[in-house]
Amino acid sequence: MIEIKDLKKVYAGVAVVNVPHLEIRKGESVGLIGNNGAGKTTIFRMMLDLIRPESGEVLSKGENVAHSENWKNYTAAYLDEGFLIDYLTPEEYFYFVGGLHNQTRAHVDDFLSGYTEFFNGEILKKGKYIRDLSKGNQCKVGVVACLLQSPEMLMLDEPFANIDPSTQIRLKGLLKDLTKNQGMTTLVSSHDLSHVTEVCDRILLMEKGKIIKDITTNASTLKELEEYFTVGMTAE
Amino acid sequence: MVSTFIQHELKLFWRSKNSGKNLAIRIIMGIMILYLMACFLLLGFILDKILEKAFPTDNLIKAFSGILLYYFLFDLLSRFQLQELPTLKVQPYLHLPIKKNTIIRYLSFASLQSFFNLTPYILFCPFIFKVILHQNGGAIAWAFIFAITGFTVFNNYLSLYIKRRSNLNGWVSVGFAIFLVLLIMCDYVWHIISFKTLSFLYFGHLLTQPVWVFLPLVMGFAIYYVNFLYLKQNLYLEELGSQKKSAYKSSTEIPFLSAFGKVGDLMANEIKLILRNKRSKSALTMCTIMLFYGLIFYTNKIYGDGWKVFCGMFMTGIFIISYGQFLYGWQAAHFDGILVSKVNFRDFLKGKYLLFTGISTVAFVLTTPYAFFGWHVVFVHFMMYLWNIGISITIVLFFANRNYKRIDLSKGASFNWEGVGATQMLLGFPLIITPFIIYWPFAWLGHADIGLLIIGGCGVLFILMRPYWIKKLEADFYTKKYKIAEGFRNK
Repeated sequence: MIEIKDLKKVYAGVAVVNVPHLEIRKGESVGLIGNNGAGKTTIFRMMLDLIRPESGEVLSKGENVAHSENWKNYTAAYLDEGFLIDYLTPEEYFYFVGGLHNQTRAHVDDFLSGYTEFFNGEILKKGKYIRDLSKGNQCKVGVVACLLQSPEMLMLDEPFANIDPSTQIRLKGLLKDLTKNQGMTTLVSSHDLSHVTEVCDRILLMEKGKIIKDITTNASTLKELEEYFTVGMTAE
Repeated sequence: MVSTFIQHELKLFWRSKNSGKNLAIRIIMGIMILYLMACFLLLGFILDKILEKAFPTDNLIKAFSGILLYYFLFDLLSRFQLQELPTLKVQPYLHLPIKKNTIIRYLSFASLQSFFNLTPYILFCPFIFKVILHQNGGAIAWAFIFAITGFTVFNNYLSLYIKRRSNLNGWVSVGFAIFLVLLIMCDYVWHIISFKTLSFLYFGHLLTQPVWVFLPLVMGFAIYYVNFLYLKQNLYLEELGSQKKSAYKSSTEIPFLSAFGKVGDLMANEIKLILRNKRSKSALTMCTIMLFYGLIFYTNKIYGDGWKVFCGMFMTGIFIISYGQFLYGWQAAHFDGILVSKVNFRDFLKGKYLLFTGISTVAFVLTTPYAFFGWHVVFVHFMMYLWNIGISITIVLFFANRNYKRIDLSKGASFNWEGVGATQMLLGFPLIITPFIIYWPFAWLGHADIGLLIIGGCGVLFILMRPYWIKKLEADFYTKKYKIAEGFRNK
């Protein structure tokens, strides 16, 4: 699905991302973890063609994302509030995104009705612009706008950070369902080790721009990761 | 503590991203501010000459005393429009162990750094030193300066106080504006009261009895204290801030735009952007005010035909200039989202063309009543309208590809330098001067209308070439998109 070759990004003489090779196969659910400044968001941005890499390329279905725009047809992402049009109401935003994929309003309404529980009555018909919502609720809007596009590839940057426990549980259920039953490829980053190990089959651990661990999740993964981060603390 | 605050304030100024990292921009801004001040200073120095001309029968000092109150009345009115509330800066101090009184004093003093508090001195001190000092002596001259200080401080805190009150209740500001307008009408239209007499009554007394200087000083201090007490009772962010209590925001549609498909959707979004954000809304307001521009020039015979070109250009194109100069900075906050989404950049550009064409067309239609000054005016307007929707839009979009500055939509437009960079300075020249380069040679040879037809013709040509320009602009955008997106991410 996605292949990264010799990808490198340098800021002020420091390589913030340096990934010689990485392949994400169709239907995989991948978790990306690492401390602040490890390069998680930067790698996301390069995969979405938002920043130009110093060298190397990101291929989506074999096409370089910087040269072709086909990936936009099957990729949906929510990295931060910068992805939302904040002066629209959530409904207007959903209709807009749906419209980009030639969906009618009725179709969008129908789709949204399946998320009443996820929204917990705080998003739709509240008479607020997106900018007036809390960060957690903005995140809900962003995630659902992604799913509305029924993507083959879903990228979320720290989706668990601002949402309440109930929504965290619902989102985890949702992500598991999407990969298991709909074959969606997901790439999720998080600071919460237990969330990623629960949701993802494969974990990528980043440190200073490099992917230093690439492990298939099993029963001892969480422990292994916790150990790594604890050791990292004492070493510094 | 106060010195720490002042240090922070200085750091804020120098380190603020929008005060311009670029030295050239700082210099240009500095020159513009100096120029503005020099204009006021010049006005101050020739004030006695102006007063002599304006009130030939009156004694000079009497005339001077007569105008002061007018000045402060208009000062209050313009402060009310333009002065910003210096509030949000206190947020990082509220939770620290700093006394409320200290914070409020800091807030109050911070509000004094405004251009409005400098102008009365620049305007009136030259006169005071030239005339009053000469005729009435030092004590009286100082009395005048202190009295002016008193009124300035009074105006400063009164306008802030009312603005703060209106944050909690929007009707306060409406009521106050109506009150001021009625006050001015009472003088000019109904002649019930005369500020000239009133002003002379006070400043005339000041000439003989300098004790009266305490009146404005006490007034100034009183309103400072009222403001102080009000702040102390309401030192909560949501009450200080400029955001009003939100009413129910309904989703709206603009039905006829759906006929344009995805381009129409993009344009609908942009219309919402303009109407739902403070700064863009003020660009639109300016556009509406500009429609009256013609009244200044067409009612007076001394302005020749060249001014029609100028007016036509501005009245049908001001929105393209004032809104267009910051493209795509308006959408900076969600630019990443646009780049990642399925929005085709060609559609994005078409949306811009459609938006500007639409608004210019509305502006042109609204200016047709100027036919009252002869149908030729409408002809000139129409030619300039064609120029604007053909060429000005394309120029603006060309420069938009070179604009990397983010715009915070929630801030007001007046005295807001955010987003202003070299691009905006450069943009003005081709936009405003080119039509005149075409027009003047023909006007000089006595064939002004041929010049106008050529201007209109160029506009039509560019309109016909739109698909070509869109392709060019799109290709150009792809070479710069990373830089634009990165610039917009920098808050």
